[in-house]
Formats: sequence, structure tokens, C-alpha cells
Amino acid sequence: MLAIQDLHVSVEGRPILKGLSLAIGAGEVHALMGPNGAGKSTLAHVLAGREGYEVTRGSVTFLGRDLLALAPHERAAAGLFLGFQYPVEIPGVSNLLFLRTALNAQRKARGEPEVPASAFLKRARAEAEALGLDVEMLKRGVNVGFSGGEKKRAEAWQMALLEPRLAVLDETDSGLDIDALKVVAAAIQRFRGPDRAVLLITHYQRVLDHVVPTHVHAFLDGRIAESGGPELARRLEAEGYTRIAA
Amino acid sequence: MGETPALPSRREEDWRWADLSWAERLADTPAPANDPLPDVAAFRLASNAPLTFLAAGRPVAGANHAPRPDPTAPPHPLADLATAHASAGLDLAVGPGQDAGVHEFLHLGSAGAAHSVNRIVLGPAARLVVVEVLAGTGHDHWLNHRLDVDLGDGAELVRVLVVPNGQGLVSERTFARVGPRARLVALTLVASPAAVRAEVRAQLVGAEADAVADGVLLGHGAGAVDVLTRIEHLVSQARSRQTFRLMAAGRAQVSVAAGVSVARHAQKTDAAQSLKALVLDRTAAANLKPELEIRADDVTCAHGCAVGEPDPWARFYLASRGIPPADADRLLLRAFVADALTHLPAQLAPAVEARLDTWLDLSRPAAP
Repeated sequence: MLAIQDLHVSVEGRPILKGLSLAIGAGEVHALMGPNGAGKSTLAHVLAGREGYEVTRGSVTFLGRDLLALAPHERAAAGLFLGFQYPVEIPGVSNLLFLRTALNAQRKARGEPEVPASAFLKRARAEAEALGLDVEMLKRGVNVGFSGGEKKRAEAWQMALLEPRLAVLDETDSGLDIDALKVVAAAIQRFRGPDRAVLLITHYQRVLDHVVPTHVHAFLDGRIAESGGPELARRLEAEGYTRIAA
Repeated sequence: MGETPALPSRREEDWRWADLSWAERLADTPAPANDPLPDVAAFRLASNAPLTFLAAGRPVAGANHAPRPDPTAPPHPLADLATAHASAGLDLAVGPGQDAGVHEFLHLGSAGAAHSVNRIVLGPAARLVVVEVLAGTGHDHWLNHRLDVDLGDGAELVRVLVVPNGQGLVSERTFARVGPRARLVALTLVASPAAVRAEVRAQLVGAEADAVADGVLLGHGAGAVDVLTRIEHLVSQARSRQTFRLMAAGRAQVSVAAGVSVARHAQKTDAAQSLKALVLDRTAAANLKPELEIRADDVTCAHGCAVGEPDPWARFYLASRGIPPADADRLLLRAFVADALTHLPAQLAPAVEARLDTWLDLSRPAAP
């Protein structure tokens, strides 16, 4: 589904990603673990197409297409979803209007008919309830007045409704208490499927108790230092990243 | 017309952002009498409402001879010029307790200078919504308006001023006296590459009088949009709110000087204003000037102002969900102006909403 080959990325002339290669297949959940400053969020933003990142070498193929040649909104329509570490607040645009606009924009780009307002609202309510999100909150501005945990639930709500093929979740578990972590983890579990994949970027092993990955990667200094199964996450938790670096 | 009276100069603080060059050129050039009438329907926002229609200063439908202006209104160089030259205008008086619904006033100009004097008097507990559309259909024109308003005890006037287009100059001065428990809502909507000068002066002369002066000002092309407000709290326990949202694109300059003055004896005044501007192109400019003159000590006068650029992080967030840049900008700009439209009457909302996207598209930032 996603093939990253020898990816080098610089920000303002400073190399951040230094030869990253990663292949993610349908049905897989990859956990990318690494310390602060390793370049994890850079990878997430490069995949989603944020400005300010210069790809100096390498390629990224998503479902057979050159991902780096697509504009951010085209990547979303192609089936890529970025769960933000710090979701943006947008006063004046309700969560419901925002997501319906997004869903229909994606559908239009794929040549699919728009989802009627009533059908969207019904699904939006059901997914919100599953995530313990107050539907009234969704009438507010995007993420406005939401706590850290509510923002992450709202990200999961967006993911559930947009139904992407690949979800890149950038530290979705950060800032969550135990209960909220379980709710968001359950949403990721519900999202999993044979046609979908997840790239879960995290510092900690704890979210992986609830979302058991198929692959785990230790990510250090802009590249993958070691790959393995779930046992690698436990080893990283026990030994720290410095042992791997050594 | 006779000798050209002296026009205000940019050296005067209240006129520092006004572009009156069209007035200087056209002051002695009356609008031609036989211009063909444009399609009126395209300009109307309240198509079912009674219409007063002036073309180039002359009455076409439902217009009266120019009413006698309020003799107690403070002198004003352009309003006084309108008084001297206007031959027609809107003259509405609503009796006590009556709800006159919506009335629409349309003035179109295509060439030369055209003036109008307008008067609205609401009796106690009377209600009225007035939509005034001042539009140019040509390049060399100056529309100059004066509106004098008197609101009796408990009356409510919602006045929506719309300047939707044009290339010349539209100038307008509203003076309102707001009685006890009366309410004035003055909403100014400008989406124009023209020069626009709009002024709202409201005197709150009765306890619990309430004035709202809001505006959405979009300047594009080489437009110079300049709004000045003066809300005068002359008695205690009056309230005022001002919310302006400005967007400047192209080479436009968009400005608002929002004034609140509180007289020495006007205790328990409750005033607030919020001024925000987005500069969409580096060649455009926005000016925000909150002006507070407070002579009483037991008052609340909140104010805030901010000038910024569109938030690239918000644009990326919307794009990451699949929303194309043009739609994302429209969504963000609509969100930006929403606070200034909260007093828009419900019956006008669909017509304004329908035009808003078109207006916002004119101000949309250029693709990177």
C-alpha cells in the first residue's frame, strides 16, 4: 500500500530524514517508535504534504501513485489520513460542517456522489457516541474549547467518518489519560481491516497494549535502526532508545 | 451646481484613510439625466420588500423628494453637501407600535455626482429593517448619501448598508439619535474595489439605549474602504457593541476607526468593540483604530483588535482532510467574518449568504 524508498528530507537546509525506507501492506499496523527529535512528525507531515519540507532524495508510492506529486487534498482523497499530534483549532467552522465538506470533497474527487446531510448526520452521531464525544460539541468550531483528550477523540471521529485506506497517526496517544487512551485505541482497532493500514507514531509502548501492531520499528536520527514484531516495542520500553542507538 | 465646497483633507485625522479623489473630480459634474436603467433585480437583497429606487440621484420608484434632514445633526462636510444638492431620497416614518417589516432602498449611479438625503423616524416601540444598496454601474461616479435617524422609546431599526461593487466613490454618513430602550443595528457590508467612505454616528440619549455597529469590509483591486464610527454614550446605562471584520486583497486599503465616547455622567455604560483584519496579499493594507474617550469612571469598555494573515496551519489542516485550497479559503474566510454577521436579520440571511461566497472569492488569497 505504502512504499517509502530511501527518503531524505530537509527543513531549512537541515537534514531530518536520512534515508528512510519502509513498506506497509494492507491489513498491517506499523508502530514507529523513537525519541524526541528523531524525525517522526516530519515523516508524518511529509506524507501528508505540508509545506516547508524539502524532499532531497527518495520516493514514496501510495496505492501505486507517486504520493509526493500530489497536493495535500489529493493525498487525502487518495485515501491518506493524518491524525495530528496537535489538532488545529478553527473558530467559526463547526466540526460537522468541516467534516461534511471534507467528506464530500473527497467523494467528489473520486467521482462518487455526495453524502446527503441527513445520512451524514446520522453516521456522525453514531461515531461520536462510540467515542464518547458529546454531539453538541461537534456543533462548535473545529476543536475549539476541546481538551487534549477531546481533540484526539475528534481526530478518531474524523478518521472513522472519512474511512481512509492508510491512517498515519502522529502521537495520537500523547496527552491522553488511561480512559481516553482506551477509547482512542478502540477506535483504531475498529478502523483496522484487511484493506486498510495504520502507521502509528508513538514514544511509548502503552498504546500498543491496546493496539497490537504487526510490525514495530525503532526510529532513530532520521532512519529506521531496527525492525521487528511487538516484542521490539517491549524491549524498547525496557531498555530505552539509547541501547538501540549504541 | 455652484462653486465646489471644500472637501475634507487627509490631513484631518478622521479622513486620513479616505480616498475622496472621485469627489474632487466629480463634485461639479452632475449625473446625466437619461442614463439607461440597469437590471435592478441583480442588486436587490430583499426582492419582496417595498422598494425605493433612485438612479443617479433621481427618483425612479417609490422615492420622495429629498426629506428635510435632522436640523440638530452635527455638521458634516459630505452630508451637508448631500443636503445642498439632493433632490430625492427615502423618507420613512413608522408610527408607535408598528412593525414596518423590511424596506429596500436602492441607489445606482453610473456617471457624475449623485446625492440623496434620507430620513427615518420610528415612533415608540416601532420596528423597521432597512436594506440600502449603493452600487455603481459605471466608472466615473460618486454616490453621496446622508441618512438621519430618530428612534423613539423602545424602537428598533436594523439598517443594512451594502456596497457590492463599483469603481468610483460611495460616501455615506448616518446620524442616529437613539432614545430610551431603543436599539439601532447598523450593519455595513462592503465588497468593493471602489473607494468607499461610510460613517455611523450614533448618539445614545436614553437610558438602556443600545447601538450595534458591525461590518464586513472586503477590499480588493485598488479599493480604498474606509469606515468611521462614533458611538456617543450621553446618558447612563446605555450599551454599545461594535464588531468589524476586514479583509484586504490586491492593492486595496481597508480601514476602520471605531470610536466610543462616554460622557462624564454616563455611568454604567457597557461598551465593547472587536476589530480584526486579514491582509491577504502583501500589496494590501489594513488599518484598525479603536478610539475610546471615557470621561466617566463606572463603565465597561472592552476592546480588542488584531491584524494578521491567513493561518497556513489551518489551511493545511483542512487540506489534509481533502478540502481543496479554494474551498478551504472560503470556509476560513467565512468563519473569519461570522462574528460580524450575528445581527443580520434572519430574513436577509439567505440573500447575504448567497452573495458572501462571491464576495469572498474576490478577496481570496492568490494561490501560492
